[in-house]
Amino acid sequence: MKLFTKLTLYITLSKLAIALLFVLSLPFLVEQIASGFTNNYLRQQQEKVKEVIARRGIEFYLQNNKSYGSYTLLKEEYISLEATDNDYFVDTIENAQRILESDTLNYRILMHTFNVRNNYYLLEIGKTTASISQYNKPLQRIAFYVLGGMILFTIFADLVFTRFLLLPLGRIIKTKLVNRKFPFRDDIAPVNTSTTDFKFLDNSLILLMDRIHEAFEKEREFTANASHELMTPISILQNKMENLIDDSNLDEVLQQRLVDMQRTLNRLKKIVRSLLLISRIENEQFSRLEISKVKELVETVMEEIGHRLKEPEITFQVHINPKILFKNINRDLMFQLFYNLINNAIKYNKNKGFIRISEIENSGKAYQLIIEDSGIGISKTDLPAIFNRFRKAGSGEGSGYGLGLSIVKSICDYHQILISVDSTPDQGTKFTLSFPNQIVII
Amino acid sequence: MKVLIVDDEKTLAYEVEAFLKKAFYVCDLAHTGRKALEMLNLNIYDFILLDLGLPDTDGLKLLDNAKKLNPEAAYIILTARGNIEDRIKGLDLGADDYIPKPFSLPELQSRMQAISRRKFGIKIESILIGEFEVDIQNRTLFNKTSQIDLTRKEFDLLTYLLLHKNRVLTRMQLSEHIWGSFNADDSDSNYIDVHIKNIRKKLGNFAAVEWLETVRGVGYKVKKQS
Repeated sequence: MKLFTKLTLYITLSKLAIALLFVLSLPFLVEQIASGFTNNYLRQQQEKVKEVIARRGIEFYLQNNKSYGSYTLLKEEYISLEATDNDYFVDTIENAQRILESDTLNYRILMHTFNVRNNYYLLEIGKTTASISQYNKPLQRIAFYVLGGMILFTIFADLVFTRFLLLPLGRIIKTKLVNRKFPFRDDIAPVNTSTTDFKFLDNSLILLMDRIHEAFEKEREFTANASHELMTPISILQNKMENLIDDSNLDEVLQQRLVDMQRTLNRLKKIVRSLLLISRIENEQFSRLEISKVKELVETVMEEIGHRLKEPEITFQVHINPKILFKNINRDLMFQLFYNLINNAIKYNKNKGFIRISEIENSGKAYQLIIEDSGIGISKTDLPAIFNRFRKAGSGEGSGYGLGLSIVKSICDYHQILISVDSTPDQGTKFTLSFPNQIVII
Repeated sequence: MKVLIVDDEKTLAYEVEAFLKKAFYVCDLAHTGRKALEMLNLNIYDFILLDLGLPDTDGLKLLDNAKKLNPEAAYIILTARGNIEDRIKGLDLGADDYIPKPFSLPELQSRMQAISRRKFGIKIESILIGEFEVDIQNRTLFNKTSQIDLTRKEFDLLTYLLLHKNRVLTRMQLSEHIWGSFNADDSDSNYIDVHIKNIRKKLGNFAAVEWLETVRGVGYKVKKQS
């Protein structure tokens, strides 16, 4: 589940829970408030009565009568004052029934005894419970609506804000992880955010990428330096062997052994040269300013290795529009690319097999070249690793150093050509090259 | 022809010297830039083989200085550094050729011969071998008045062997010459045999080709004629 969805769910659920709690406790709360308010009201009335008595004397209410009573029109409130013999004090507020003019009503009643000139009086002030709770329902309803509205509004506000808040996360993932291409050579500006956690994440990613880049650089530098260092001793060995082989006094057996050694040394030389070539491509030491026709490139390769087709009787078919031109390329590298692919197609082919080079030319879509052979193919398990260095594709005999296809991959990457491979063991292999529009002129 | 070999790898310099001596070049060795300048002050050379990675001098600077002392000489840069900028700079400074290490000795010699033809105007009008006449400049092959057609690769192979007369060239050296040292494949050795077979066949129609010898298990050689 997305972080945004989770947050939204959490916010909504927690708000609803709080709202539910509030709605459930609302009647109780309202009642509490109403009853508290009534008690307070009754006390105020009591104070008023006592104030009047203090100012005007008890006679104001009791004009020689023993008791005084008064109530409002609808009997919602009443007040009564009477002399009492009881010499104990009462001071309570309670709910009780009173009969007023034959109506039995429920009242909340304040009872209070007090003493004026050694006479005791009992004051009762009552308010019908019905009038107390008459606002409860509407109050609850209004509170419910207001609350509901507020919750909806805050949920909406939360959604907008959360979305805004999480925006940098998406941007970090996109710019730092998804869209970046190995080996992360280009520096990317930090994502603009005021959230320190995202800043931390962003900086950590930048640091990590820098470290990867650095490690990659070091490896590349090492490959280049090591290859150079190896060239001198190889050079000495090669020339020594050449002079030895040329020595006319040498016996035949020894001479043949030297030739074997020369072959082995040559293998070493080629491995080192291949590594050096890959590291030079990765170091971008080749210009990309040349142009060449696709067909001519293939023809140049065939001029070099066409003879290799003869003995295994391989049929070679080329279906390429002779007008198609590559621009912004390095001709030597492109030659090497086709050379390696075609050479492999010959090397791992079968007797009387075929090699077919064709193209897909869809306007609007990338120009594609397809190099197919009817060779021994590559097993499913080997397929993902064929562009890795020093992995020999298939179980074919011969001198596969596992660098030919690594070179192909480097050259493709260097020209932003997409390469994909499709292979069925014993049936053949198909390489598809998709060229970016900027290097193809149709 | 007088050659100055400037290389701090002494063993390598000796091997180059040993090979070139057999082809009648006279060689001097210098293992430092300073020594090289000393020699250049004293002698005039036809060829200067220059390693760029010298311990005491920047190879390109040495090339510049040497050119002032000995402007007539042909300069060949031999280097293991082999990056493209060096190559361009070297050729800009007037080097005649640039050979990355490791190189094959016959290849070095044939490049020197090519420079001789180009630069010193030493025209080997034609090479006579057996009853054949090979014109390297115009890439033609004649038996008396009849021209024999060879493919490009067959012609290259034949002239390479002819220019290294009396030396055994291994199949590997031959295939490196024809296909370049990087793209030459082990399997190409067989194709060398095929090409040689074709050459023998085409030439054999006209006259004997016993001068083109097979050295068993090693390669081929053009025998010096008595």
